[in-house]
Amino acid sequence: MSFRLKGDSLLKSSVAAAALAVVALVVALGYEIYSGSGLSIARFGFSFLGGRVWDPVHEIFGALPFLYGTILTSILALLFGLPISLGVAIFLSEKAKGQTTLKYVIGTLVELLAAVPSVIYGLWGLFFLSPLLRQYVEDPLHAYLGFVPLFSGTPFGLDFFTAGVILATMIIPTVSAVSRDILNAVPNSQREAMYSLGATNWEVIRRTVLPYARSGIFGATILGLGRAVGETMAVTMVIGNTPRITASLFSGGYTLSAVIANEFTEASTPLYLSALVEIGLVLFIVALTINVFARFLVWRITRGTRMRV
Amino acid sequence: MKLNRNGVSTAVAAVAVVIVAVIVAAGAYFAFGSNPGTTTTIVSTTTSTSISTSTFSKTTATPVLINGAGGTLVAPLMSSWTFAYQQVTGGPVNYQPVGSGAGIAQITAKTVDFGESDAPLTAAQYSGLPSGTTLLTIPISDSGVVPAYNLPGLTTPLKFTGDALARIFLGNITQWNDPVLAALNPGVTLPAHAITVIHRSDGSGTMFAFTNYLSDSNAQWKSQVGIGTSVNWPTGLGCKGNAGVAGCIQNTQYAIGPLEIAYQIQNPGAISYGSVRNAAGNFVLANLTNIAQALQAGGTVGLPAGSASWTTVSIINNIFNDTKDTGIYPITTFTYALVYLAQSDQSKGSAVVNFIWWVVNSGQSAGNNLGYPPLPSNVVQLDDATLKTVTYNGTPLYTGP
Repeated sequence: MSFRLKGDSLLKSSVAAAALAVVALVVALGYEIYSGSGLSIARFGFSFLGGRVWDPVHEIFGALPFLYGTILTSILALLFGLPISLGVAIFLSEKAKGQTTLKYVIGTLVELLAAVPSVIYGLWGLFFLSPLLRQYVEDPLHAYLGFVPLFSGTPFGLDFFTAGVILATMIIPTVSAVSRDILNAVPNSQREAMYSLGATNWEVIRRTVLPYARSGIFGATILGLGRAVGETMAVTMVIGNTPRITASLFSGGYTLSAVIANEFTEASTPLYLSALVEIGLVLFIVALTINVFARFLVWRITRGTRMRV
Repeated sequence: MKLNRNGVSTAVAAVAVVIVAVIVAAGAYFAFGSNPGTTTTIVSTTTSTSISTSTFSKTTATPVLINGAGGTLVAPLMSSWTFAYQQVTGGPVNYQPVGSGAGIAQITAKTVDFGESDAPLTAAQYSGLPSGTTLLTIPISDSGVVPAYNLPGLTTPLKFTGDALARIFLGNITQWNDPVLAALNPGVTLPAHAITVIHRSDGSGTMFAFTNYLSDSNAQWKSQVGIGTSVNWPTGLGCKGNAGVAGCIQNTQYAIGPLEIAYQIQNPGAISYGSVRNAAGNFVLANLTNIAQALQAGGTVGLPAGSASWTTVSIINNIFNDTKDTGIYPITTFTYALVYLAQSDQSKGSAVVNFIWWVVNSGQSAGNNLGYPPLPSNVVQLDDATLKTVTYNGTPLYTGP
């Protein structure tokens, strides 16, 4: 066999090996986390997921406050971050004439935001954003709307709300960069057709571009959500680190990743260590579930449009 | 991409060759080349941390690298020690502040040469040691915990008792102008504002000492919360690290939180902290001297030999019950090095013994700038006696005076 043909089959087998290695990595990861949580699963079983107490001294562990915190902060991150990301993406993909330098600068800045390490966001949040939010947003909201359960409780700046804002800042670069690419990929023929029918700029975007790019934007949102769910350092610096389930956004909270980062090094007993690994297992399953669910939804939506993520 | 007649891009091939060459070179360097050797000589023994040279001089033998792992409380001091020790004697020491729990796990598994922990081993951890081995507990440094707070406008340090602090951290005392606090601080107008409790979110030896003290002071704390590096705090917000707690207190008015004395020493005047009442009835504002005095007093009550079990040793309890020493600060704790009695490697065992001997006898003055009070003399004597018992194949390893 000539070297050309050998090279071809060599390439095929090495590429296949790389792909299989990824699968093997995921399986190995899941298995290791599962076996590490063996002690905790044996002790608590499924009640671990519903347990509200996290007491290392008396060795009672439950994951519910952390699950609640992770889900709540992720939802807040999407709530605050998605409108801004969409706005940025629409602005950057806008086909109207002019302002190309501005678009280039803003586009680059948004991508640069994604390169900032998350611990920097945490420090910025702790020393700058948290007091600012407390003084100008949380205190007035509490003063005027304190009767609403969401805004009850004295705000201290270290709470779900601030964590949600920080996470929103962190997902904006990802979501807007991907959304901009999706919106750019909408064929010009669609826009031109709408313009020829007499639509305004806003109507073109709202009625043609966005619906056409629906599944793509949804995929970008899930990417951002994935980052928000796993984010550790930035969240643990501003969330108050207290395992609590409450309707108030101004209360301190805790997330799955934050408790692992905080308590893993000093976990003194095997059960404690195992409980923390089980928290990791819960986080792993949550992240996987979100991604699988998102893929399923994208598949459903994509049947109606012609775009694929 | 241009392809030659064999179908392989020359560019790709060149890149692959370069990558392989780099990997091979790096491997060779790390395997053979990174031994520091005895190339430097002592020029000056007066370092900026004013560590004295002891009986040690530069060894002419190949220096042996020893590895240690343990708590973060002593980490800044340990990095000062390892640097100075290498300057003075040439012996490299590598310390990883992975946490007390991880430090105990690693010395149990013998993956490091010495461990370090902010709390002595529990009974379960002692029984987890390899059978037939004895692990020595050697106090190498100490720390104190102060109640720091943020009360705008108040300049005189507030006075606290252990019971009052416990009730604040339990959430039973919620207002600064509570009658209990007002009674402790006559003449001070305490604000009519809610107390924001701050605590550490990460596990730490500082919290171990603090919760130990609160357990001694208040029965409800002892039964409901207990002692630990991480506990189920009844109230308050958690901030990461000593600096995180300090930052949270500074940013939150009317907040209170437990802070390690090291932070105060390195950042004098940054945060106000209160005095705590000791067993003799005096309100003591913590500083390096009264912490060291407390440990001296606590140590004379009777510390076990290094080879015994230290599980039930509560230096906090000793100090807590000490009514005769009037000026000591109550919330203090040791931090311990963990070394096997019977070493399995002569050169490494010798290096470990020499390093810890140096730390206990010559390295304590380095703590002054960093906020770690020097060990009291009775503890130094105890440690020296313990180190002299470390053996290899039955022969003691310590060869100094």
